[in-house]
Amino acid sequence: MFEILHDHLALFLVGAWPSGPLGGVANTLILAALGLVASFPLAIGVAMAQVSPWRWLRTGAGAWTRLVRGIPLLLIIFWAYFAVPLLVGAEVSAFTTAVCAIIVYESAFLAQIVRAGLESLPRGQMESARSAGLSWLQSMRYVQLPQALTNMLPSIVNQSVSIIKATSLAYVIGVPELTYSAAQVNTITLTKPLQTFMVLAAFYFVLCFALSRFAGWLERRIARHRLGLA
Amino acid sequence: MLQFENVNKYYGTYHVLKGIDAKIGRGEVVVVCGPSGSGKSTLIRTVTRLEAIQSGRILFEGRDVVARNGNVNRLRARIGFVFQSFNLFQNLSVRQNLILGPTKVLGLSRDAAHAQAETLLAKVGLANKIDAMPANLSGGQQQRVAIARALAMKPPLMLFDEPTSALDPEMVQEVLQVMRTLADEGMTMMIVTHEMGFAREVASRVWFMDEGQLLEDAPPARFFDRPAHARAQRFLQDVLRPAPRTAALID
Repeated sequence: MFEILHDHLALFLVGAWPSGPLGGVANTLILAALGLVASFPLAIGVAMAQVSPWRWLRTGAGAWTRLVRGIPLLLIIFWAYFAVPLLVGAEVSAFTTAVCAIIVYESAFLAQIVRAGLESLPRGQMESARSAGLSWLQSMRYVQLPQALTNMLPSIVNQSVSIIKATSLAYVIGVPELTYSAAQVNTITLTKPLQTFMVLAAFYFVLCFALSRFAGWLERRIARHRLGLA
Repeated sequence: MLQFENVNKYYGTYHVLKGIDAKIGRGEVVVVCGPSGSGKSTLIRTVTRLEAIQSGRILFEGRDVVARNGNVNRLRARIGFVFQSFNLFQNLSVRQNLILGPTKVLGLSRDAAHAQAETLLAKVGLANKIDAMPANLSGGQQQRVAIARALAMKPPLMLFDEPTSALDPEMVQEVLQVMRTLADEGMTMMIVTHEMGFAREVASRVWFMDEGQLLEDAPPARFFDRPAHARAQRFLQDVLRPAPRTAALID
């Protein structure tokens, strides 16, 4: 196992780069980061729609999240693989396709987290903001969202763990990321699939475990802050 | 300044407010009292449309607050509302709590809003807490900040919905003192409270409500000494002399 890791470390970390496209862990992290950063504002929008006073917005956003959450990511990736080029009218790289699919998928899950954060705030926060004459949007922007997002920060970090694992599915449309690297290593070594995929698992585990620990640390810190100790 | 005209409200088939007709003039302090569930809080919340009404009119400065073309944000900016549970913005410091409305709604400059925040905090006796976070303040302090926050909008009318009901007994007076000062300065106020001593001392008129009806509208002297309605007499007996009844219950 260590031999595999030692012999193919570069392939695992950066793929064929610098002679070829960037891949491996680096590309996995880029995929996940892009997915998180782009789906986040979307998720906030969807979550706000879900708690908004306008019924058609609530219904639409609710239907959207239920639909997306009820479909496997793999299907969304396949679907995006064929649909995105049609929508854009041009050829689209596998990487872009994967990012789009992850954004759609994760925004629905993140929206659930943000919505839970908004709904768990005491009703009085919104009432007092509106009583000061702030519009609904202003109340959201200055009072509700800052509190909801702080409270939900650990959950959001935890969700990024799921995003990292989700990126492995980009492999099926040929995006050179970590899983793709492992498959390449497997074809090179040929006789050691078990060990190769153990190494792959270890990579994912280290990334995700570190993030989970970070989320736990954040949670404790926020709890301390709320008690006024920090 | 504020006028209820045959206001009715229902929760489903439950009739919460039954044809409320009443008026508050400029500079008046009206204390609304009555047993719990009588509709006092619901009534005060209808004024800024925190609760909808099904029929009747509520006029503030001569304008119907539930009019379809009315701007609810502009209405609320002109009416201060103090809640039972304070509801300070938990993510903002005391200072920021006091400048958010004035800067975002009234368009006051930050400097002017800051200066005003300092003056108002000094007025409620909390000048030294300007940079504190709400979570680090006692209940009484939070409620005083909440009053200052409402005053920061320079409203001609202040509404108080049981402002001392969530407070420990020793903190009630510091909040009532601030409200007393406001009354002395001529602020028009509508106050839902169980503090009968305060009502007797500060109110221009007392409204007594029971089961959604406004049963009495009288100056405090008359209300406390010679309540016209039997229900009000019983209520006063209960709140003013709780000790013997409790003793009787224990026996």
